[in-house]
Amino acid sequence: MLSHAGHEENDENDFVDEYLGDYASVRSIVREALPFQLIATFGGVASGIILSGMTDELQMIPGLIVIAPAVLGMRGNISSTLGSRLGSAIHMGLITKIERNPELINSVSGSLLLSAIMSFILGIMGHYITIAFGLQSAGVLSLTLIAVIAGVSSGIILSFVAVLLALGMFRFGFDPDNVVTPAIATIGDIVSMLMIFISARMVLSL
Amino acid sequence: MTYYTIRGIVGRSFPIILFTSIIGILTGQILNLRIENLVAMPIILLLIPALIKIGGDTGSMLGARLSSALHMGLGGNLRHSPVVRNSVIAAFIVGECAFAFLAVVVWMTGEILNIGMGLGNLIKLCLISGTFELLIVFSSTVTIAFASHRLGADPDDTVIPLIATLGDLIGVVGIFMTMYLLGFI
Repeated sequence: MLSHAGHEENDENDFVDEYLGDYASVRSIVREALPFQLIATFGGVASGIILSGMTDELQMIPGLIVIAPAVLGMRGNISSTLGSRLGSAIHMGLITKIERNPELINSVSGSLLLSAIMSFILGIMGHYITIAFGLQSAGVLSLTLIAVIAGVSSGIILSFVAVLLALGMFRFGFDPDNVVTPAIATIGDIVSMLMIFISARMVLSL
Repeated sequence: MTYYTIRGIVGRSFPIILFTSIIGILTGQILNLRIENLVAMPIILLLIPALIKIGGDTGSMLGARLSSALHMGLGGNLRHSPVVRNSVIAAFIVGECAFAFLAVVVWMTGEILNIGMGLGNLIKLCLISGTFELLIVFSSTVTIAFASHRLGADPDDTVIPLIATLGDLIGVVGIFMTMYLLGFI
């Protein structure tokens, strides 16, 4: 489109630029993106409230602060991929109902299996990298247990939410792509932080 | 045969999630090095998840827009392209508004939970570390989007997980740097 030679190219470029300047105007992007960002910020504060209430656990389980951001990040990446995959599958007509749907079962089990494997690796890496930095760690077993319980339980909850949200939004005439990924990213942080807190308490009480 | 297979999903996502998890652990180590400061100032713990997310969120939006523009063939002349310029300016405005909003929400929450810090200090902390985060994350986003486009990789698969993870790392570095600059630690 922009590969013609000669000065016509410049005219055409100017035209395209002018058109796009209107189409992708700063004002329209900000107007669309800002409300979502402010809601996401509220979600972030909600998970911050849980984190700031965990000071006892953070002190009693050295190394917990190391795996917390990694579990949150992993959870966010896996769940938003699931959300966007569900959106694509619904658009392609592969997923229309919840019961006995192999595409849906494969998408969800794939993301849960990935969560389980990654949480396990995260716990082990968290322990050994902490030791390598010369810092104290609660031990490979405690950290791995916390990562796996938190990673898999939040994965199950978020898969349910993602499936219901994607199918529900589609049924009510919304494009799941616009809603599911930002919603899951926001809910995901709160749920994962809560599950890290609960699994830390569980491991402490063992 | 189904379109989505468990093996396909796990196999395609594993390398990038492994890489981002290693960066996530490093982010955690930085927090761990300063754990005494964090436990002594719970308001910073309250601030961190939201503050580090804003850079990743706005960077991901920017990455998705650039990637769509590249897919449509609109990003040929990088420096003059209004799509690139407007998207960067808009993402910057959204980010800065969110940081100011965050400072106010955290201040109110801190007052309620009785772990408060002055509103002025919170606004300074959020805006300075936020601006630092946005500058680094956005320049990386533009670089990664154009590099992966040039190398023939689909920017959609690479940009967003990388940027979200980078945002966390730079955000945590930025918070501690700003706290040091302002004399909090």
